[in-house]
This record gives sequence, C-alpha cells and structure tokens, in this order.
Amino acid sequence: MKDKAKENNDDPCLPGGLVPVDQWVLPQTSVRRSLKDAIRHALEQLHAGVSQAEEPFESMDELPELSAAQKRRLAPEPGYADQAAAIACGLEDARKDGSLSREVAFLVAPPFSGVEQALACFSGPGQSGSIEGGGEEWRIILPPDVLSFDDQEAGEWWDRQDLSRPWVIPELADFWLRCLSGLALVKELFRRIANGDTGAGIVGCSSWCWRYWGQYLENAQMSPWTPAPMDAERLGTWFTRLASGSGSRVLTARMTSDGQYVLPLEKPDDTEKRKYSTFLRDLAALSRGNPGVALAIWQRSLRARPDDDAKLEEADEKPTKQSCAADCWVVPLARLSLPAMPQSKESVTGFVLHGLLLHNGLDMDSLETVTGVSVYELSLVLSRLNRAELVVCDQTSKRWSVTPIGYPTVRRHLQSWGFPLDQF
Amino acid sequence: MIDDLGIKDAFASITGQALLQALLVIVIASLITMAIQKVFPRVAEKLGGKPRLYLLASVPLLRLLIILSTIVIVVPILVEPSFENMVAIFGALALALGFAFKDYANSLIAGIVTLYEMPYRPGDWIEVDGQYGEVRAIGTRAAEIVTPDDTVVIIPHNKLWNSLIANSNDGTDNLMCVADFHLEANHDVSRVRDLLRDVAFTSPRTKTWQPVLVIVFNKPWGMHYRLKAYPFDPKEQFQFISELTARGSAELARQGVKFVSVPVAVN
Repeated sequence: MKDKAKENNDDPCLPGGLVPVDQWVLPQTSVRRSLKDAIRHALEQLHAGVSQAEEPFESMDELPELSAAQKRRLAPEPGYADQAAAIACGLEDARKDGSLSREVAFLVAPPFSGVEQALACFSGPGQSGSIEGGGEEWRIILPPDVLSFDDQEAGEWWDRQDLSRPWVIPELADFWLRCLSGLALVKELFRRIANGDTGAGIVGCSSWCWRYWGQYLENAQMSPWTPAPMDAERLGTWFTRLASGSGSRVLTARMTSDGQYVLPLEKPDDTEKRKYSTFLRDLAALSRGNPGVALAIWQRSLRARPDDDAKLEEADEKPTKQSCAADCWVVPLARLSLPAMPQSKESVTGFVLHGLLLHNGLDMDSLETVTGVSVYELSLVLSRLNRAELVVCDQTSKRWSVTPIGYPTVRRHLQSWGFPLDQF
Repeated sequence: MIDDLGIKDAFASITGQALLQALLVIVIASLITMAIQKVFPRVAEKLGGKPRLYLLASVPLLRLLIILSTIVIVVPILVEPSFENMVAIFGALALALGFAFKDYANSLIAGIVTLYEMPYRPGDWIEVDGQYGEVRAIGTRAAEIVTPDDTVVIIPHNKLWNSLIANSNDGTDNLMCVADFHLEANHDVSRVRDLLRDVAFTSPRTKTWQPVLVIVFNKPWGMHYRLKAYPFDPKEQFQFISELTARGSAELARQGVKFVSVPVAVN
C-alpha cells in the first residue's frame, strides 16, 4: 500500500509536518542566483594547488555581529521537546488516517534537522503512550560502545534489547561502522523489522546513512518519513517562533543593504506598504530546506546595533507590556562568505568528510577504520578543515563532525568529487 | 614513362663539373651532420635538466634542416631550373610522396571519422593492441594515451579501421573495476560471495549506487571469484583494485579460506 502524505502545517516547531521521503521537494530559488552559485563553485574548483590563505569567515559589513546574549534572544537554538511532541503528533495522525501502517516508523532527515535530538526526548516525561495509546513509556535504545559484531553476536545483542515494548532509536548511524565487522548490527535490525519480529518502534536515521543502507539492502523498502522542507514561509514562521519564545514579541528584521523587510512575513491583508526581501527564499534554497543549516546561516547573518541590547533587556523586564518590536539587521547572502573548502588534489579530504556525514560524526580511531587513512594524516586533514570551519571536534566525546555552517559547502564539493550523496 | 615525364631531358644538362660541385656540397653537409651528431650529445652530457633535453631534441631538427638545405642547393646545380624541368621533377616527387604518405592520409581520414563516431574521447580509458591508458589528446593523425606507468603511447587513427578498440568508460565517469581471487575449493561459496560484496561496499572509493557483483567460476584448480564494482573516480581504479584485493585477501585468510598458488619449478 502506498503511503500518502499527511499535512501538519499548524505546529510552528515542525512547519509542514512529516511527509513521505519520496514527496520531499528541494526549495527553489531564482535562476539568477542558481547560476551565480554554480559559477562561483566552478571557479572554486579551478583553483590549483593548496591555498595557503585559509581564513575563517569574516564579516564584510560594519555592524557588529550578535553578542551571545543577543543570539540567545533573537536566534536561539530550538527546544527539541516541542519538536518531539510535533513528531509524535505527526506520526499519530499518519497512523489514524492509514498513511502509516507499519509497526516501525522510519524518520529520515538530513543532518542538523533536529530529529535525533527530538527522538531522544521521547523517553522524557509527558511522552508516554502518545502514539500507540498503550500507556507505555518509550525506551531509548543506545548503541553499544564497540560496534564490531559477527552475525551471531549481533543477534544476541538485539535479543537483549527487548524490542517487544515501544522503542526508539534516535540515530541509526550510531549503530554501525563502514567496515567488514561493523555492518552486522544494522543488518540484523533490518532483518527483524522486515520479518515483523519487533514491537512498535521509531527509528531516526541520517539521510546519508539511509542512502547507504538503501543501496546495500536494495529489497528493504521501509517507506520512511521526513520533516517537510523548510521553504521561505516556514523558515520565517520558525525564526519568529524561536525569537518570540513564550511571549508575543514580533521580530522585525531588515536588510542592511536596502532596508527591505525579512521579518515579519508578508501578510495578504498587510495595510502597510513594505518592500520585502527574497532573503528567506534564497536562504531556504541555500540550506536545501534544512532547518539547522538555515539557523546557523541566519545567526551569522544577523547584525544588531550596540544599543539594541538595552532595548531587548527592557522588553524582557516588562513582559506584560504589549510586544515591542526587536529590530535586527540582516546581511545579504551575497556578502556573507560561507566557509570555503581548502584546496587539495588528494581525495583524502573527501573520504574524511563523507565518512563523517555517513556516521553522523566519528572519533579519530573510528574515522581511521572507516576511511583507511592513517591517524597521522587524518589529524593533518582535520586540522585544516577545522580552521576552515567545516568540521568541529566535540571536546567531551572527541567526536569530529561537519559543522552546520559548512554543510552546504561540504555537500557541494562531495557532489563535484563524485561521492555518493543523500537525496536531500 | 620517364621520357614522357621529361625527366631525361631535365638531366641531360648535367656536366662533370656540376656533379663535382654537387658532391662537394653533399660531403660538406654530411660532415656537418656528423659533427652535430657527435658534438651536441657530448655537450648535452655536461648540462642538466631541461637544457640537456632541448639540446638533444635539436639534433634531428638540425639534421632535417641541413638535408633540406642541401637539396635546395644541389638541385639547381644539377638541373637547370627551367619551368619544364621543375614540373618534371616535382611531378616525380609528388608521385613518390603520394605513395609514401598513403598511411598518413589514411590516418587523417580516420581522424575525421573519429570526430563524429567518437569511439574514444579525451578522458576515456581505452585498450588498443594491448596498450591500455587514458586518452590525453586526440590529434589530427593520432591519439595520445597515457598508460598507468606514465608512458605516452601514440596510436594512429587508422587503427580504427581494423583494430578492436576497448573503451572502459565511454565518455562517462563509470568505469568497472574487477578484482580477481583464486581460491582453493571446499569452502562455503555463498559466504565468500557475501564477504566479497561487503568488501566492496565497505570501501570508501565505491560508487554504492552502481551494481556490485561477485561472479564465481569453477575451475579445475579451484574457484575463481571476480569482484566487480565501480570507483567514484576512474583515475583511482588501480588504487581501488589494490584496496579490494588487499582487504579481500586479508579477510579471506582470516576466515580460513586458502588461496591457490602456482607451483614454481626449481632447477
């Protein structure tokens, strides 16, 4: 039975709701912008040799970037508990109307979509039984410390996880490594799901990981779902929701170049004569509808005057007062330099970046296993990529991962180099 | 026939003195040529790098220049440069050159056919008469390929007429690579096939959206496996095959599957 789309546009934490993966559409931008991006990328590809001038992003306008406090107020990180509730609601609606009939629902999303963090909130208070109505709490299944298994060991491991009760895997990419002994765990899980040997479950999966397993297991048709792509309107709604928090503050954002309005969104019954910028449309296309990437670029593009801190503090101190507009300024995308790929003739850079995306981040030893590149050479490559703001290392877990601000550049270069890409 | 061409008349005016002059010119030219062929290489030995190569390359060019100059000087000495004489001589020359350049013209025509049939393009990996390499350039008369050992092989276009040209990627970036494994019999064939498939899928160079196939043949000496997969970059085909072979061999050995070895005769 073919799954049908179920629209859930009301929840501002998950604009557009969940859609089947085959109905996901890339947000479009103007032909002129697409051509400019393609030409710029081609010119980058023509640079020969190793560039010594690998400088991180620098702002080219005169207004200062947001302070940490301003960033927390104007463009904070989203709360994933709300997104978890929206996902649960979306899945429940899909089951009610028959679009989703499987016991195990797969949620595939590109990196930085927040799906992993949202699914990790499923075992929190208030989430019990929200989908199946069985009153049972969702169990989060965490990956083992060591991912090398043979087929028998993998079977025994899954036997110990009790998949008969509602379970959630926030990120499937954490359960395998691209090496001969690292495939067994996920292979066994897919076998059990296909055979119906599990109870109700939700599996979150990075799009890169999903693409790989879709090609490895060609006959495993799991009909995954995904959050709807963030187009201009949904991005505007989401940014407004993030900035407003619990209040009714209306965020007003205007372009630094020509004063055109970015937020609030244009309304059909708007009596004021305002000129609106295409910034959000271009941002949606640049970020490929990815909310995490869009938020990172949005945070970088915002500017505020030094006295805006005082205005914002005043607004916070008087919450009962009618919402006062918090002004900020937006740098045009053309003047916003995203991280650039360090030039190199070797394919090691591509191996490293593709490996990191495939596994949602890796530590050095796992990266060596996955890429076949020595730790010494990896450290050199990663340091270059780190200086270019394309990768970052989590100091706690020592895991390297691609940055959201660098993701568009990384994806584009992997495409140019011929690496397998995700479908987003 | 020679009389019809007027060659006999052309050479009728040759005198003894003219012959001696011509002989003298030829001898001087030969001496200069021999001197250049002896001296220039010795000088080049004392130089290094590119100047040495340029100097050595100038030897055949100078030799050609001297030969042409000698012809230009000798012919007027032997033959009165009248219109009829020149027509006679150039006519005979053209006939001789026509036969000599037959193959060159053949290659030129084949080059034109190559442009619209496109049996190979720059960037293709082709094999012609046992020579395998990447097409670097397609000239008027011949194509240049660069072998994996970084050797440039010039292939005349007239090979198109009667040689088999194997094109591995045919203008695309899809180039199938094959890693061979020769194993002793008496093992689980299905398990080995699955294992080799995993070897390909776990390589960072594999184009996972292209087919990965494991073909097995039963030979008198054992089982012959062929692991077929596509690398993401055709230029990395040799590293790809090496990696598949190395990792496949290591894993097969770890699983206790033995390789066939060829007996070596010891005298």
